[in-house]
Amino acid sequence: MAAPDAAVLEDRPARVPFWRGPTFRRLIHHRSFVIGAILVSIVLVTALIAPWLDLPDPNRLAIRFRFRPPSGEFLLGTDNLGRSMLSRVIWGGQLSLAIGLGVVLLNAVFGVTLGAAAGYFGKLDGPLMRFADALMAFPSVLLAIGIAAALGPSAMTAVIALAVVYIPRTARIVRASVLVVRELEFVQAARASGADDWRILRQHIMPNCMAPLIVQLSFVFAYAVLSEAVLSFLGLGAPPTTPSWGILIAEGRSYIREAAWLTIVPGVAIAITVFGLNLLGDGLRDVLDPRLRVEQG
Amino acid sequence: MRHVVRHLSAALLAGVSLAALAQAAAAQQRFECPRRGGDLIFALEARIATLDQHVNPASSRNVTMNIFETLVTRDENMNPLLDLAESVTPSADNAVYTFRIREGVTFHNGKALTSADVLASFQRYQRVGFDRSILEPVTRMEAPDARTFVITLREPRPTFLEAISSFTVPIVIIPAENADAPAQQLPIVGTGPFQFVDRVADTQIRIRRYDGYRPDTRHQQMLGFAGYRQACVDTVTFRMMPEAGARTAALEVGEVHGVEDLPTVAQRRLAGNPNIRISRLDHYALVVGYPNLSQAPTDNVLVRQAMQAALNMEEIMEAATDGAFRLNPSFQFPGQAYYTDAGGNLYNQRNQARARELLARSGYRGERVVLLTNREYSYMYNAALVMSEQLKAVGINAELLVLDWPAALQLSTTNAGWNFFYTGWTSVFAQGGAQSLRNLANPANVHRPPNNQSDDVFMAAFNDITRGATLDERRAAFARAQARAFDQVMAVPFGVMPKAQAVRANVEGFRPYYATRMSNVWIRN
Amino acid sequence: MGRYATKRLLQAIPILALVSLISFGIMKLVPGDPATVMAGPGANPADVENLRRTLGLDKPFLSQLVIFYVNLVQGDLGRSLMLGTPVTDAVIERTPATLAIAAYAMGLTVFFGLLAGVVAALRQNTWVDQIVSSIALIGVSLPNFWLGLVMIVLFSVQLGWLPTGGYVEFRTDPVGWLRTATMPALSLALLQIGLLARITRSTMLEVLRQDYIRTARAKGISEFRVIMRHAMANVMIPVVTVIGIILSVLISGSVVVETIFAIPGIGSLLGNAILRRDYPLIQGGLLFVATSLMVLNILIDLLYAYFDPRVRIDGSA
Repeated sequence: MAAPDAAVLEDRPARVPFWRGPTFRRLIHHRSFVIGAILVSIVLVTALIAPWLDLPDPNRLAIRFRFRPPSGEFLLGTDNLGRSMLSRVIWGGQLSLAIGLGVVLLNAVFGVTLGAAAGYFGKLDGPLMRFADALMAFPSVLLAIGIAAALGPSAMTAVIALAVVYIPRTARIVRASVLVVRELEFVQAARASGADDWRILRQHIMPNCMAPLIVQLSFVFAYAVLSEAVLSFLGLGAPPTTPSWGILIAEGRSYIREAAWLTIVPGVAIAITVFGLNLLGDGLRDVLDPRLRVEQG
Repeated sequence: MRHVVRHLSAALLAGVSLAALAQAAAAQQRFECPRRGGDLIFALEARIATLDQHVNPASSRNVTMNIFETLVTRDENMNPLLDLAESVTPSADNAVYTFRIREGVTFHNGKALTSADVLASFQRYQRVGFDRSILEPVTRMEAPDARTFVITLREPRPTFLEAISSFTVPIVIIPAENADAPAQQLPIVGTGPFQFVDRVADTQIRIRRYDGYRPDTRHQQMLGFAGYRQACVDTVTFRMMPEAGARTAALEVGEVHGVEDLPTVAQRRLAGNPNIRISRLDHYALVVGYPNLSQAPTDNVLVRQAMQAALNMEEIMEAATDGAFRLNPSFQFPGQAYYTDAGGNLYNQRNQARARELLARSGYRGERVVLLTNREYSYMYNAALVMSEQLKAVGINAELLVLDWPAALQLSTTNAGWNFFYTGWTSVFAQGGAQSLRNLANPANVHRPPNNQSDDVFMAAFNDITRGATLDERRAAFARAQARAFDQVMAVPFGVMPKAQAVRANVEGFRPYYATRMSNVWIRN
Repeated sequence: MGRYATKRLLQAIPILALVSLISFGIMKLVPGDPATVMAGPGANPADVENLRRTLGLDKPFLSQLVIFYVNLVQGDLGRSLMLGTPVTDAVIERTPATLAIAAYAMGLTVFFGLLAGVVAALRQNTWVDQIVSSIALIGVSLPNFWLGLVMIVLFSVQLGWLPTGGYVEFRTDPVGWLRTATMPALSLALLQIGLLARITRSTMLEVLRQDYIRTARAKGISEFRVIMRHAMANVMIPVVTVIGIILSVLISGSVVVETIFAIPGIGSLLGNAILRRDYPLIQGGLLFVATSLMVLNILIDLLYAYFDPRVRIDGSA
């Protein structure tokens, strides 16, 4: 279904650095990509520099100051225990994004490994894809809750649970690309010249499967941020001692009438991030792999 | 028969049942529904899975106590009160209890209640009942005639009536033909003022007036889960709405007539709303924590005492309840028969200097102190959060471990991996004086003493609570046990959490209680 | 076709065996059990142990597994520990609400998703396109449970238009159904509308570039006819394929949405079952849902293959 992108194929022989190549030029002229990249950068950078922002400790209790609405003193208000929502939403972003990136990383590693193995080695294809089908047969939230409940609450739990949900989907996309690339002439030529499987996979097949993978991973990031919130909302995932956006919403929802900002602020933070990631993904798709249709979960 | 009741009161529950009877007599006017009819929609917080009240220790009582009745129950102040029993006559040594069953009571299927049903119900409870250990001293149960039920105990137990009248997991009376039902599969047929209509699991339960109900004419008003009860509304629809925000919203817009459990902040907001009437049960749950005596460093009594000294209960309760609480230096609530503040000088010390001094003497070297809590019950989580700050302030290396409730409870029943566990005692109080400290006594020690052997001094006092012949003796024993529990820091009461319930202004006669009561409640036009 | 269908169905059997094993394996790992959940706070450990025995949880894991499969072969999914009813009954009782809301959400998705996608494509790079595309993108970016919470405050409390939750069956009260099902369906559908609009837009753009569209236009056929007759037929193909995925996502999303709106559906049933450790219900329920989704996807694939013979019928891609 997904063909290797012509631009990427053309890039290789010339060995032009990526930031001077045509792909990059097209990306920075793609409006969605640029807006998305800016939004995501703002969110990422804010989360990264949180320790140097001179914010109040996000976990410091100050019950006297509880339920303060947003004001000059407390920019985004305070929560039921008087903690600064500004601090909490920024630090919470750190955790939410870290979880999202963790899921992306696991997807990249296992999705590629399993997808390439299934696509390249015919014998592995059946068993691996049946297993992927079995995992994908579960409604994703239910599978994630099951795994999260089994592993106990921690940020790592959320990462693993969500990775298990999305890896089969990523693996299928990689596999589909590998199936196509495997049959291309230059791969056949390499095989005829006696190159071993590992070399063919590494040098010829994988570079040509990157485009759909990158696009898929940008969407996985977006879904992971959304799904982390769902897990936290249901009381699974990271423990509330280390707040993520999902936990902030879960904690704030009991007070939605009296202190709506506790729910609105983290919700908007999630929306901005996912919006940015989606724009970014759209841009990547348009440029790298216009015919790709990403499976979602 | 009346003399038997009086005899019982005087001899056994001196000052306890008499008070209840006096209260009943004082309310001269017998309750009659000012208006009948209507469907009352009531929103519950908990999701109720089944109505098998023998098995379910949880919130199913909110529904079932309108459907089922028991032999003996509790009045508003937690004192034993006869319900389906017309009388009970204990033997002189308190080892044989003879119940006389009320006449004219019928089940919702039309069948008349006999002692055979009572016997079958007790036997089912012995088999599948959650709290079946309260029947542990029973050696024989028999129904010699249709209206007599006799329980013989292994040894004298003056507190036996207290134990079986507990509505924690009440021994509800069911028809004998249903007594073979496996756990969780009980057909919902009782003798109460309401009968079961239908349910959608986790969503909604409907009950309707049972026309064959014969109110207990010994009383004029409803008392606890018994007394003179009438179903004024035609039907009650219990809707399960676990989301506090949605539940409150439903009440505000008038979709439901009442809610169980209105959050503190919503109470403040709705206080001036003329359409809503808020009522509060001031003493609902005791927020409690207990240390793990098998895990270092809380195996060291000095460390535990240091922790106890460091605590500021006002801060903890403020956070746990959003500001609606009462301090309570006791394992009982004020007004209850066994209430005492013995040992209460160790409660809420807020003494950081003493904490540091005890810590220094204990040889504490900065070992981790794991505070095991959960997030389903946010009051427990918030209590743990504030407590960890207070412990850190005196140099204790406190660390929060937040699991989901089932996992946390499971871990708390093991000896390692945690130092302090948070819970809430609600119905524990319904179990009576001895029962409320049962969690700290052999063999069911929640605080994990080494070899599962609780403290000797405490156990001596505890055994006296169970066996003391008079209420005064038992009270004194309770005070000794409580003082010891405080001194050894076997458990830490933080404070009392109230429960607020609210109804629309056109709902009359609704009074909050430990579980929802729909009798004697009517809807004004 | 018949052989393809048989093959797909046969392939489904080992997958379902795996599905049941996975759900079993997960449950074996989960700490805590139904007895601890039922016991609640303040419970006495000895009582919890008794309850565990009462519920038959003291049996070894392997024998529970064997019992499960023996019953399964006889078509019995076991009995829920919490509800006390057979899992099959519980699942069947709860399916209609979920399906009705999913169908409603699906209707909203298909209607608004297609409409928005087509309009955006036809007005490519105009302000219409930009607004529609942005709204679609925002729809994809909002957590659905958050949206649900905000909608309750807005539409139920502030405006008083819709009830805060609960569910009325369609056949007892169609208007009541519409009132109770609208917000949940909307919060489920918004994400899907966004996705479908985006897919439709890009497919439409692709189709409009095709030669036969140019030919049709050159022939002077009205633009409306070109779109409806020629373009839409081709847009529908990818749409049909995503509908299977969308349905799976709707059921998945229903876990949270049904919780928020207090709807007696299968999502909240299974979500609760996991949180309450109701093993038989989790195993049986997941198997039921997975089977239904799989059968549905096979049907969709068959339809797809029927409408578009170019599709390689090998079960891949």
